[in-house]
Amino acid sequence: MELLTNPLSLLVMLPAAAGALLLLVPPEKEHLLKRGALGATLLVLLVTLKLYADFDPALAAMQFTLQRAWLPAYGISYFLGIDGISLLMIALTAVLMPISVLASFNYIKEGRRAYYACLLFLEAGMIGVFAALDLFVFYLFWEAMLIPMYFLIGIWGGPRRIYAALKFFIYTMAGSVLMLAAILWVAAAQHAASGAWTFSIPALYSGTLTGQAQFWLFAAFGLAFAVKVPLFPFHTWLPDAHVEAPTAGSVLLAGVLLKMGVYGYLRLAVPLFPQAAAVFAPWLAGLGVVGIIYGSLVAWTQRDMKKMVAYSSVAHLGAVMLGIMAFEPAAVAGAVLQMVNHGLSTGALFLLVGVLYERRHTRLIEDYGGLAKVMPGFAAVFMLVTLSSIGLPGLNGFVGEALILFGAFRVYPWLTGLAVTGVILSAVYMLGMYQQTVFGPLRHTENKVLPDLSAREWLYLAPLLAFIVLLGVWPNPVLKRAMPAVGSYISLAQRQAAPPPADVKISLGGKLP
Amino acid sequence: MTPEIIDYASRALAIPLLLVIASLICLLLPLFVRQLRGTQGLIAIGSLTSLLFFLRWPPAAEVGFFNRALLISPLSAYLWAFALAALALVVLLSVARPAAPPESQGEYYFLLFMAAIGLMTLVAAGDLFTAFIALELLSLPVYALAGIRRSKPGLEAAYKYFMLGAFGSGMTVMGIAILNALYPALTFAVLRSGPASPLALAGFLLVISGFAFKTALVPFHMWVPDAYEGAPTQVAAFMGAAVKAGGVIVLWRLFSLFDGGPVHQIFWWLTVITAVFANLAALAQSGLKRLLAYSSIAHAGYMAVAFFGGAQGAQALLYYLPVYAMATIGAFAVAVVLEKGEKGPLIEDLAGLAKDRPWLAGAMAAFMFSLAGVPPLAGFFAKFYAFAGAVNSGYTGLVVVAVLMSAVSMYYYLKVTVTMYMKPAAGERSYEAPGVAEAVIALMAAGVLLAGLFSRPLLSLAAQAARWF
Repeated sequence: MELLTNPLSLLVMLPAAAGALLLLVPPEKEHLLKRGALGATLLVLLVTLKLYADFDPALAAMQFTLQRAWLPAYGISYFLGIDGISLLMIALTAVLMPISVLASFNYIKEGRRAYYACLLFLEAGMIGVFAALDLFVFYLFWEAMLIPMYFLIGIWGGPRRIYAALKFFIYTMAGSVLMLAAILWVAAAQHAASGAWTFSIPALYSGTLTGQAQFWLFAAFGLAFAVKVPLFPFHTWLPDAHVEAPTAGSVLLAGVLLKMGVYGYLRLAVPLFPQAAAVFAPWLAGLGVVGIIYGSLVAWTQRDMKKMVAYSSVAHLGAVMLGIMAFEPAAVAGAVLQMVNHGLSTGALFLLVGVLYERRHTRLIEDYGGLAKVMPGFAAVFMLVTLSSIGLPGLNGFVGEALILFGAFRVYPWLTGLAVTGVILSAVYMLGMYQQTVFGPLRHTENKVLPDLSAREWLYLAPLLAFIVLLGVWPNPVLKRAMPAVGSYISLAQRQAAPPPADVKISLGGKLP
Repeated sequence: MTPEIIDYASRALAIPLLLVIASLICLLLPLFVRQLRGTQGLIAIGSLTSLLFFLRWPPAAEVGFFNRALLISPLSAYLWAFALAALALVVLLSVARPAAPPESQGEYYFLLFMAAIGLMTLVAAGDLFTAFIALELLSLPVYALAGIRRSKPGLEAAYKYFMLGAFGSGMTVMGIAILNALYPALTFAVLRSGPASPLALAGFLLVISGFAFKTALVPFHMWVPDAYEGAPTQVAAFMGAAVKAGGVIVLWRLFSLFDGGPVHQIFWWLTVITAVFANLAALAQSGLKRLLAYSSIAHAGYMAVAFFGGAQGAQALLYYLPVYAMATIGAFAVAVVLEKGEKGPLIEDLAGLAKDRPWLAGAMAAFMFSLAGVPPLAGFFAKFYAFAGAVNSGYTGLVVVAVLMSAVSMYYYLKVTVTMYMKPAAGERSYEAPGVAEAVIALMAAGVLLAGLFSRPLLSLAAQAARWF
């Protein structure tokens, strides 16, 4: 029973069960499918609100923990629990899900049943990743989530969807299989040191690995997460996946899936292997900055709006990486805040591109122009979201970006100096796109009859707009919840004095111990 | 021996006996009755059902029969249950859609049952010579089964399989002859304690290569793709699930006679070469059965990784076998349902399946993801356990190769799902999907979906059995 009374476990089971139930609905009952999916995601949101309200922001320890033995022979338990960072990520997921479902109502015309079931399975997987405190369970959710996303891109995506879906799956999988080997190694080392099998993440934090072992393990974990973030040069799957995915898929991909990579560094790679993290941190921060500049420059040259937003994600996530690799409270807190912000504003941007695409079936910037005249409501919303993405003071993007830059400057002054150019570049390309699509003369006759935002579109954009403004002027609730978790992340990252090394047998060849 | 053990053992030995009787009935009935119309299939199902009365929970003891040529223990019980389940599923598929021409129905079930008896003897063999005889009893019927349609691809498959299989058997006999000169008893227990000498090593290597033929480890795999493609699909399912299991078990026994040394090094290389080559070769396949053939070779490689895991690996291997067999039999069952020609469907023939037959496509996708090792399907858990043991024994390099190659394998397994879900149907599709075949597919799909997340029961059975190894 505890599996259902624990809110975290409920948040995993609920969408999974709802997805399985949806599969039983006859496919011709369109309204039932839509309402069922929306109802389930709203229910999840409701549970998440309760979770948010019950969460004690002052505690750094894991809350709402649930631990039940699952595969005792291997020390694997179904172990869930959250701190402030996971809470924010789960809340972001729960907010974006009903929005994605609403945005799909008219866009998805075929195979609705499987589509909504995939969305719900995806939600279960995403929440599972953020709630897992057992390494095995984490990996399970991490990989399992690929299946629904693969189908979302591959079945309901654009013309090059097969290529994009395969690329997405294989890149992510190839990045993560080495993490599986590394997970086994960590558990084996812990087994050798303590005599007991465990995959519990908090227990593994106290592991005793040599510097060299940490180096390789961090590399394996870091690769998996770098592909997901995506960190330059592992980002090439992202533009393809984003461009081909349906709107809801893009929203969730940018809003939640990319955060999993950063979350992986925060929860696993850095705290498990602090010595190696100290070695890798400047390089990862450097790659983050390369991502900022490269992503911005490439975004500047794009003609496809979705691709531009995709590359802007590379830039934003680069800034987040710079923040978390600084191991400085302000920078890390800013990065966590920026993860939420990016989910909101990029999610909103993809939704807006989707709004245009549903009307005109093109995403090329030059096919638009002068939309302010026919779609004033759209133009206003687009303005707000664009400014939020650029980081205008008063909107959410500013607070996170400023905190990252302030904090990181103390640690990496030169890198941060370079990163500041990203702020300028983001204004260049985002405002450029905005100007070309919304202002100017109405060049295309087809655009003269475009309807403004419908009630349904307002409904799903309004919550995002509210959060964009709210977090811009009052980010404190988020920061307050994130701070204790940020503090424990930094203290875990700064454990340098290594206890005596564990006796792990390692042979790369056929040599036997 | 307590009465309980005698009772159990007599029941256990009744099982192969019953299979012999049933197979003889199937074979000889056509001599007396002219119009049979596939009654043999019903006899086969009936006899397998009656076996249920002989199933007992095995007592925790090992009993040797025929001068310890045959060892009955929880391990053999586990593997016999596996062999009988595989046999039953293949029989069901053959009843659903006959694999043999009507005039050969009797021989078909006779050969199939004989092969199953061979497998049961092989996994319970207490000495190397019994293992060899059992191997022949397993192989000879399968050679004939591969060509039972007497068509060109079938005969080619049978011929190739037979020639290479005979070569492998020859090597095994040669090796056994050498070992026999050194260890007159030839039981596994004696072989374990024997002193190492170059001659003994040569003997062991010959025996190992012979069994590697059956297991299809690279470079002893050449027969597999052609044999699977040309043989009737039902028979290919039996080869992929059951014949392979027999080879794996014997290889595992041979492997664990040694504590390291050159034999383990050779196994290390065989495993690496198998995992790398099979996965790369599978990328280029366009026929579904050929793809599954290369996938089965790759999985033999993953199972060989489990050899290195000590006691943990033994348990993982016993868990791996049924999980792999479920996905393989399921995938072949889908091929049975869809096949039109002799050589089975091409991958592109699956295009649009998700729209026409959503449940069939869903099941096939589950088999593919399970074979690829994507959670939450059972195949992931099987790989996890297999690799966990090897890492714990210090073979991280081997596991790194295996996981990298399973990332490569994603491509060809995904190719199947891409075709089913993302490509439109090319033309009219003919289905011959009798309820029985669909029931087998549904059962296997439920298996790969549930055996992973709820792997505790199967894992604990495997752990109990592995203790008697």
